[in-house]
Amino acid sequence: MELPVLNETPASKGGCSAGSCGSTDDQLGHLSDEIRAKVQNHPCYSEDAHHYFARMHVAVAPACNIQCHYCNRKYDCANESRPGVVSELLTPDQAVKKTMAVAANIPQMTVLGIAGPGDPLANPERTFETFRRLSQHAPDIKLCVSTNGLALPDSVEELSKHNIDHVTITINCVDPEIGAKIYPWIFWENRRIKGKKAAKILIEQQQKGLEMLVAKGILVKVNSVMIPGVNDKHLAEVSKIVKAKGAFLHNVMPLIAEAEHGTFYGVMGQREPNAGELQDLQDECSGDMNMMRHCRQCRADAVGLLGEDRGDEFTLDKIETMEIDYQAAMEKRKVIHQAIEAEMNSKREVKAKKAEQFVQEEKMTTRPVLMAVATSGQGVINVHFGHAKEFLIYEASPEGVRFISHRKADQYCGGDTTCGDGETVLQRTIRSLEGCEAVLCSKVGFEPWEILEQAGIMPNGEHAMEPIKDAVLAVYKEMAQGGKLDEVDQAERAVA
Amino acid sequence: MSGFGSANPTYLATDFTFQRDSIMALKIIESCVNCFACEPLCPSKAIYEAKPHFLIDPKKCTECEGDYSVPQCASICPIEGAILDAFGVALNPPGSLTGIPPEKMAEAMAELQAH
Repeated sequence: MELPVLNETPASKGGCSAGSCGSTDDQLGHLSDEIRAKVQNHPCYSEDAHHYFARMHVAVAPACNIQCHYCNRKYDCANESRPGVVSELLTPDQAVKKTMAVAANIPQMTVLGIAGPGDPLANPERTFETFRRLSQHAPDIKLCVSTNGLALPDSVEELSKHNIDHVTITINCVDPEIGAKIYPWIFWENRRIKGKKAAKILIEQQQKGLEMLVAKGILVKVNSVMIPGVNDKHLAEVSKIVKAKGAFLHNVMPLIAEAEHGTFYGVMGQREPNAGELQDLQDECSGDMNMMRHCRQCRADAVGLLGEDRGDEFTLDKIETMEIDYQAAMEKRKVIHQAIEAEMNSKREVKAKKAEQFVQEEKMTTRPVLMAVATSGQGVINVHFGHAKEFLIYEASPEGVRFISHRKADQYCGGDTTCGDGETVLQRTIRSLEGCEAVLCSKVGFEPWEILEQAGIMPNGEHAMEPIKDAVLAVYKEMAQGGKLDEVDQAERAVA
Repeated sequence: MSGFGSANPTYLATDFTFQRDSIMALKIIESCVNCFACEPLCPSKAIYEAKPHFLIDPKKCTECEGDYSVPQCASICPIEGAILDAFGVALNPPGSLTGIPPEKMAEAMAELQAH
């Protein structure tokens, strides 16, 4: 099967070339119907779907065949949320049990991924045993796998035998010089190989694997970690190459590097990109294709909607006591999935109509504004400011409203209420909202209200339970009417 | 180790058996994170899953002599210092895999403890 080349210009919708602006809200607008059908209920691939559908990862693959400078195989902390970290390693048998228990209890769960904590394809027996049994016993679950790519060419044949629609390859570079700064070693042909030579082999295997998967008709997503000063200037080229070869999505994620993680980058003081740099790079790489700006960089054992983790409800001792009638669960899941899809479709229609309206309205000349939104799903504003674990960031501009990113409210470590320098959780949260001019929640308490105002962020609790983009646009229009957004206007007039 | 085996294989085969018990065995120590990477690679099936961590059966370990030019477990192990040779020396000394200079690691850890 031939996959379409994604650089071809997609039909422009709603007068916005970015594709996910307030008008279309359809991240998958550029994809063929066939691919859309495969990904529309996949929370990781569809920004729309991630408000409704859930995913889970099973940690069956502990071994790895390479070392990345952002990873440390020693750490396993329940408070940490980043890829490569798990609390409980599972056998394929336990993984199958857990998946079926979650599917029965969280019917919105549509996707099972194997993402580590090592490299799934460096553990072929454990990974494929899990996939084989799940395709047999739980055929209504989509299977995904993510890999560093080193062992990929050898696994493509086996991958194509299972119910696997999607493979993610982490490709951080196509240049061995850069690769040598990211990968200290690989294990290849019974030796540990270091430096540029290692990076060259890894890059060749990744590219070969990508081509082989595309030739087989398996969807390929490419993940890249943005590392300032190392590959940030290089990723636009990576994006171009992988898209030309047929990857259907490119996901640029920020480096996570804290000294306490004990990683090379963390200990050596390599900085993480800030939100603005990440957004600029994502914009640069996106072209005609959408970025997965809602990616949460999940743990290798995450369970639930993106941004939430219900893993604690499904520990080994708990699933041991659960009685699962999967046939019955599958019937129930089907009904629920259809209801969700119907709801999503009707919302899409409403949005499309609003988009048409918006295009017909007189175009505003105001400057863009970033706003933060507290939501727990369903595409509406439904979380109290103080309860928000993360905020979704939207940009409102005369072009419409577009989703930009998510930011964690309590950064990675969730333990105590103050960190070393005595900064409170509230202060930290406000710092994470840097650049935003408003925050939309279902409610905001008195104390944070004042502090938010002092920080120049307007709290807003007036749009509880309203659709996010409608609310953001309404607030934007209010700000415009209040004369708060006139700078661009004046600047333009000055130029004219 | 290497080069040792090529001169007189017949003579060395006996010598091997003798040495295997006493000297030629690698050892996995407590810093092992149980990642399973080494276990399937061992040509002698000397590595086995155990609590709290994987172990090497010294009677079976050959340090891969005759099968590979380098010991396989130590070539894939991601943890510095987790595998020792017969003399108790780490095959992957601090800094050799992560590239983090040991003094830099010590400094970072000290700083974290201070908080």
